Amino acid sequence: MNLEELLATRSALIVPSGITARFAGFTRYALVDRGSYEWVDVPVDPRIGELVATHTGMRRQCIASRVIRLVPGDFILARHDTSPTGLEVVIDISPAPCAAEVHYRQHGQVFFRVPCEPGTAALVPRYPSVTSNHTYLSKLATVEVVRWVCLFA
Amino acid sequence: MWQLGPRDEDALAAAWRAATPFPYVVLDDVVPTGDLMEVLDDEGVARYEAELFVFEASPPNGLAELRARFAEQLAPLLSRVTGRQVTRADMRAFAYRPGHYLLPHTDHQDGLERLLAYAYYLPSPEAPLGGELELYRCELENGEVVATEPATRIEPRPWRLVVFDVSAVSLHQVREVLGGLRISLAGWFYA
Repeated sequence: MNLEELLATRSALIVPSGITARFAGFTRYALVDRGSYEWVDVPVDPRIGELVATHTGMRRQCIASRVIRLVPGDFILARHDTSPTGLEVVIDISPAPCAAEVHYRQHGQVFFRVPCEPGTAALVPRYPSVTSNHTYLSKLATVEVVRWVCLFA
Repeated sequence: MWQLGPRDEDALAAAWRAATPFPYVVLDDVVPTGDLMEVLDDEGVARYEAELFVFEASPPNGLAELRARFAEQLAPLLSRVTGRQVTRADMRAFAYRPGHYLLPHTDHQDGLERLLAYAYYLPSPEAPLGGELELYRCELENGEVVATEPATRIEPRPWRLVVFDVSAVSLHQVREVLGGLRISLAGWFYA
């Protein structure tokens, strides 16, 4: 990790997105040594590109767009993360807030937490030294968590 | 602290070998002769939270006398039953309250030399709902896990000792406690 990476990751932020969406056709992932969740790849949405341009001052190309759904009992561990390079945007499109977070780590230390707050977006610079995990969603919860995760080059 | 009484070691060894998805054995009625709960009352617990778990536990290096006696009295039997020659153990006290869990993992780490894992369940003022030990069947290809499937659930009954093999496929979890309180001593046996 160099100073540029360290400073860039500390620039992660959460902003209002105003984006809502509903998706179908989820596939369950169940290699539980890595995670338990549902996913579906979806088309790139220009609203997210506009959001990125507004908050970074740059137009970037979206190279991955996936919606992740966690139901009570689900989680995604950091060892399942591919540590991509780029700008990751996490749009929370959950039906309601709940006690679940995305944690971003650098060398094992959590440096950024993304709460489950519908209508917000997290913008997080990604480097190979960064991993993320989606925390366990308690079976005592009564809601699901839906996150639209996009990677911009 | 523990007098195990007569046990059919051949039957236990056979159960260990036949167990699926990986070797394990359950010993019920492992009742202490002294007041174990009084010993534990003197040991403080703190909340621990990480990617894999949320629970309350005693410090990693506590319970020195208790774990020494536990190993002294259990290791010979477990060595005969499992074929793993163990002599010492570590030990922590755990309290799982509603919402606490330990996600799937294997306990296997190169260099740590853990041979057997154990969980010893204690009486609770309010019996836990959930908190079962769940063992998974793993399919490996070239050393990589390519399929996992829940295979066995073991209830946390008071004075029950569960011992299982530690390997790259000993995938297990503590299912989330949904009510009550799950109290246990747990750790690993070493050569």
